[in-house]
Amino acid sequence: MASVAGTAFSVSARPPPRSLQVFNGLSVVKSVSFANQRKSIPSLRSHPATSRFRVSCAAKPETLEKVCKIVKKQLALPESATVAGHSKFADLGADSLDTVEVVMGLEEAFGITVEEDSAQSIVTVQDAADLIEDLVCAKSS
Amino acid sequence: MRRWLRWDMLPLPFNLVSRHLVVSSLPSLPPAPLPSRREAHLWYIVPNELEDASLLQDYRELLSPCEKENVLSIKGEALKKCAILSRVLVRTTLSRYTDCKVNPRLFKFRKNRFGKPEVEHQNGGLWVPPSLQFNISHTSSMIACGVTVDVPIGIDIEEKRRKPVNNLLSLAHRYFSPYEVQYLASFMDPESRQSEFLRLWTLKEAYVKALGRGFSGAPFRDFTIRFKKSTDSVVPERPKSEEFRIMIDTASDSENLTANWQFALVELSGSHLAAICMEKDENMPGTEQEFLKLKVWKTLPFVEDKCMSETDAVINISGLS
Repeated sequence: MASVAGTAFSVSARPPPRSLQVFNGLSVVKSVSFANQRKSIPSLRSHPATSRFRVSCAAKPETLEKVCKIVKKQLALPESATVAGHSKFADLGADSLDTVEVVMGLEEAFGITVEEDSAQSIVTVQDAADLIEDLVCAKSS
Repeated sequence: MRRWLRWDMLPLPFNLVSRHLVVSSLPSLPPAPLPSRREAHLWYIVPNELEDASLLQDYRELLSPCEKENVLSIKGEALKKCAILSRVLVRTTLSRYTDCKVNPRLFKFRKNRFGKPEVEHQNGGLWVPPSLQFNISHTSSMIACGVTVDVPIGIDIEEKRRKPVNNLLSLAHRYFSPYEVQYLASFMDPESRQSEFLRLWTLKEAYVKALGRGFSGAPFRDFTIRFKKSTDSVVPERPKSEEFRIMIDTASDSENLTANWQFALVELSGSHLAAICMEKDENMPGTEQEFLKLKVWKTLPFVEDKCMSETDAVINISGLS
């Protein structure tokens, strides 16, 4: 749905106040209302999205696996390092340049573009995989 | 005036006697005079130089309950250590500028709407000097904290030899402004290009952190950092050290990306690049606005502070007076 893709991932309007957390030099705005909706109202996914809502597909296992591999490579982590959905980027020692490299690696691998302000909501590898899945879904629909 | 009993004012024997009041036996921090209006102070820690596990434990005790919880949730000893040292550096540095009247443990912090941490000035009880501004940056091998009074500051440090995983021009095309891409492309030698990339990266990071908006709030492609030769002609080739100024261009209609900021770029300790950005003082005469004063200390809090300004450990690349 082109209209969803066009509005869901480049939010430029000033959003309502949200709780904040820092993410390695990037500003991270963690949207409390969106997080709740994502977990408690799965039917939201089938509705056409307004510009305020983000269509949310939880990442397929193969997407998550591919994301984990790319994160490991971009952060130059040893093969023995554990990177899983619950891994926080901050805990993997990623600084702002690392984060940008990871995002670019993911964009190239999946053929998508991640707007800077979408990256705000990424705390864990799972968050990144879910966002990728959203973008891939939107691109192919 | 209410007197606070500070554990770190007590000499060691008293610490042992009044153990219930004392968490550790750390000595006092030496106070530091406040930076002047056009001055930035930079304090840095080299994590590898801390080998004393009991000192790290003492440091941990300075953290707030929330910070301690955060450290607990981090996996990996090196990252845990870095997290503790980051908080300790901020807290002890700020304490110095209160003439050590405020115990490092007592500072409270809040975040602005983009997530930039700030000191929360509390009502009653604690004395905090006017408007201490700070910003922190770290790599795995160094943690730095910049401090100013009254004006926002942003800093970024990177290891000099850092080699990005991705192709530098791809990164630049994706994230930098067209002018900056062209500038980088003009360097054929990979090492020079890498060096210029890191210079641009740290300066851009320092700017968005000084603005308080961070990377997400101030996309890198929306402003340009360029190096202007001091003889006032813009040159595409690499200018010689100390003969160029750091300039910033933003779109004239941008209300969020302002241009009244000054920059300095230094090499720290032979190993790191450090970019400092602070707001210009509009009251200064034109040419003097361009340069900022910087004082640098290397610290292992409560153990040793070394002033590194005017030594080989701080090499001005551009921007310092």
